[in-house]
Amino acid sequence: MSSVATVFTDLELPDHTGRVRTLSELAGGDPLALFFSRGWWCPKEQRFLRGMVALQDEFEVAYSRLVVVSIDTPEVQSAFRAGLGARFTFLSDSGRRYLDELGLRETTDTVHHPYRPAAFTLYPDLRVHRAYNGYWYWGRPTTEEIRQDMRAITSAIRPDWELD
Amino acid sequence: MLDSGLRVRPDPHCIRGEPVPGAFAHVSVGEPIPYDSPEIQQARRDVLAWWIGLLGETLICVTTLALDSVHCVGAITVATDASRFADDPFARSFPAVVVQSDLFCRVVPPPGPVVERYSGVAWPGGRFDG
Repeated sequence: MSSVATVFTDLELPDHTGRVRTLSELAGGDPLALFFSRGWWCPKEQRFLRGMVALQDEFEVAYSRLVVVSIDTPEVQSAFRAGLGARFTFLSDSGRRYLDELGLRETTDTVHHPYRPAAFTLYPDLRVHRAYNGYWYWGRPTTEEIRQDMRAITSAIRPDWELD
Repeated sequence: MLDSGLRVRPDPHCIRGEPVPGAFAHVSVGEPIPYDSPEIQQARRDVLAWWIGLLGETLICVTTLALDSVHCVGAITVATDASRFADDPFARSFPAVVVQSDLFCRVVPPPGPVVERYSGVAWPGGRFDG
C-alpha cells in the first residue's frame, strides 16, 4: 500500500494458529485497528502491545477488531500472544510477502528484515480512516486516538448511531 | 431440540456447510445462564485466548447454544480428536458429554477479541452487515 492508497490491501496470511486468514474476513463487518509490528524481541513492540492488550477489554464489547502483523512465525506469535494475554489475532508474514508491497520494510534492522511499525484504522471494507508511522515510538497511536478513530468509523457505519 | 424439550440455537454456520464425518462433539448443556454473566463472558474469553489454539488443526467448530435473546444453555466444541475436551471452558458451567457426530461443519474460528453477540445470534456467529 502506498502512502496515498485509500483502501488497504486485503492481506492473506496465516494467523497465530496457522490458519490462513484474509484481512476482510477478520474485519467481519466491524471497524478494524491494524498494527504492523517488528516482532516479539523488540522492547518497543512489547510495550506497545501490552497497551493494546489493555484496550482489548473495550474492543471485546465494542464490535471492533484488532489485528497485528509481524514477521514472526505462527508458533512464535502464539507464544508471544499467550505471554501478553492477548485475545486478538496475529498474522504471520514470515515469508515477507507484503513487506515491500506495503512499503513497510524496516530500514535500521538488516538482520531480521521486519516490518516498520505502523498502524492503520480501517473501515470494515478496508478503507483507511487514518494511518500512523510508528518508526518513532511517539508516532504510534495512543489508546485514546484509537478510541477516537473507532468512534469515528463506528458512527459512520452504524445507521442507528444517533439518538432519534 | 434438547431431551428436555427446549429448543436451542447454535451458530448456524456449524450446521449449514459440508459435514465432517466421524467427528467428536463435546456437548455442554445445563440450566440457562445469562450470556452477560461473568462465567459465560470468561468462557468466551478463554475460547479466544487458548481453547482454539489448544485444539489446533483438530478443531472443526465451536458454538454456544442460545435459548433466547438473553440466556445461554451450553456450548458445543467439535473436533477430530476428543483428547482435549476435559479443558473445555464451557464445561466449567455446564455438564458435558462426548458424542460422535456427522452433523457439524468446519467453520473458521472467531478471530477475537469480540465476545459480545451480534443481534442475538449464538456466539461466535453473526455480523452486523449480513
